[in-house]
Amino acid sequence: MQYTRHPAWSVLLRLFHWCFVLSIVVLVTTGFYIHFPWTNTMIEGSSSFPVATMRYIHFIAAFVFTGALLARLYLLLFGNRQERFWDFLPITGRNIKNLGSSVKYYLYLDDNEDHRLGHNALAGIAYFVTFIVACLQILSGFYMLYPESVGWQTWGLKLFGTQQQGRLLHYLFMWYFILFAATHVYIVVWNDIRSKEGLISSIFNGTKFLPEKPEQN
Amino acid sequence: MSTQDTGKAIDAQLSRRRFIKGCSMAAAALGLSETMVPKLVEAAASPQRPPVIWLHFQECTGCTESLLRASHPDIGRLILDIISLDYHETIMAAAGHQAEEAMQASIEKNKGKFICVVEGAIPTKDGGIYCQIGGRTAMDILADVGPKAAAIIAIGTCASYGGIQAARPNPTGAVGVRDLIKDTPIINIPGCPPNPVCFLGTVLHYLTFKRLPRTDQLGRPLFAYGRKNHDQCERRPHFDEGRFVEQFGDEAHKQGYCLYKVGCKGPQTYANCPVARFNDVGVWPVGVGHGCIGCTEPDFWDTMTPFYERLPGVTIPGGGQGIVTGADSIGKKILGVTAAAVGIHAAVGIGKKVIKGNTSERAEDK
Repeated sequence: MQYTRHPAWSVLLRLFHWCFVLSIVVLVTTGFYIHFPWTNTMIEGSSSFPVATMRYIHFIAAFVFTGALLARLYLLLFGNRQERFWDFLPITGRNIKNLGSSVKYYLYLDDNEDHRLGHNALAGIAYFVTFIVACLQILSGFYMLYPESVGWQTWGLKLFGTQQQGRLLHYLFMWYFILFAATHVYIVVWNDIRSKEGLISSIFNGTKFLPEKPEQN
Repeated sequence: MSTQDTGKAIDAQLSRRRFIKGCSMAAAALGLSETMVPKLVEAAASPQRPPVIWLHFQECTGCTESLLRASHPDIGRLILDIISLDYHETIMAAAGHQAEEAMQASIEKNKGKFICVVEGAIPTKDGGIYCQIGGRTAMDILADVGPKAAAIIAIGTCASYGGIQAARPNPTGAVGVRDLIKDTPIINIPGCPPNPVCFLGTVLHYLTFKRLPRTDQLGRPLFAYGRKNHDQCERRPHFDEGRFVEQFGDEAHKQGYCLYKVGCKGPQTYANCPVARFNDVGVWPVGVGHGCIGCTEPDFWDTMTPFYERLPGVTIPGGGQGIVTGADSIGKKILGVTAAAVGIHAAVGIGKKVIKGNTSERAEDK
């Protein structure tokens, strides 16, 4: 079967992806440190400020994360065809059909892949859930970052409860990102081995390979 | 200044010096300039003292105790001197029907003008039978007295948010005042117990400016609960510098380092404890080496426990009872399950390939 190369992901989407990856790695690392600062010192009169520094890095990464998410929000609505949400959420007949075939393909029940230039519907759902959790993560983070702001307190109390409950949710959401990252990396490697789409390289060069005559949807 | 003769209007045992001192403390707590102190003094010394009905429901009287048992009695006496306490079960002389009659008389006389102070949570389950005074349920009494008051001050976390009575599983259906009374202005002074300065400040603010102080979204006056303990803590430099107590009694504890890692909830708790302090001797929990337990926050018995760990346990639904486990361990368990799922998925793929050969290569051969 002949495969041809097609442009799939815009520069902004790839930029979003890598900013998201980098900020999540930094946020989880510094977040764990802030949660339980494993370094401890008995030296007084020094000024190394490890916890303050970690918090500083955490907040900068949080703004990168927020910026990346806003870029993705823009692309969900105004990006290219593959990047808009109706291309991959099971809200159209085409995508619902794709959801069934993707589940079968992932469970080794069907070896014929329903090739898509964008996300398949199963991945689409996972990415959308991640998008929502990321929004909640950002909101709970800002709720804790601006504890004396009336506006943040109003919404924070409605969405998360007290600061302590907001903090617990912030921590549990972090575990979602760890789990998502582990699953995501496994699935893309699995897909890259199993299919000839060139999935992993697509997030670097923006192009995917599809069989010569892609289905006309 | 009209403060010259205030000594006559108030308790002779309270010297003018101590009286001014108490007012100054309240002014400082309210964040008012010293030029406002005479106004506070004038309001506090006014012969027209506001009548106060003090209701006790599900409580331990700790709030009253902390108010009255200051090591030297400035604040407690000042409070009792600036208000006309018409009904207070702990300290009133009357008893039984006499006391109830006095309360009713005062309510009728001062309708819409008196301050109602509530101490303790109100049980609502089974018609509120779990707390009754003089044959009436707490719900009944509050529904009767509350709407007739000019304002309600809920003193303590129980009256504000339900407190320990409302902790899971909340057997009596206990709630705070704000859950039952909607049309009367309510000020919450949470804490277990709250600092008397917060109560005095609220009362003096009301007497001086004829309105209640500004509050946050949880009904707590901003002058006392506008900032987190963590952001005012004297141990904060140790937090930023990464000097932590690892366990109680260790060398770091002796050095007075940060209590974050032994479960201090100061970073999640709005209060003025590090500033106002307690018992007139400048102490507060973190100051004497124990972490903050977050007693001014709603549901703190549920969300701040375990007190000596950073985060509360997470209830996993199932089995009817639910299993409580640490947030850390639940994350690690789900990570383990995910890793197992990934492993099984990969193993199935490899197994299939071993049995059936490489299908995708075969497809390519076609």
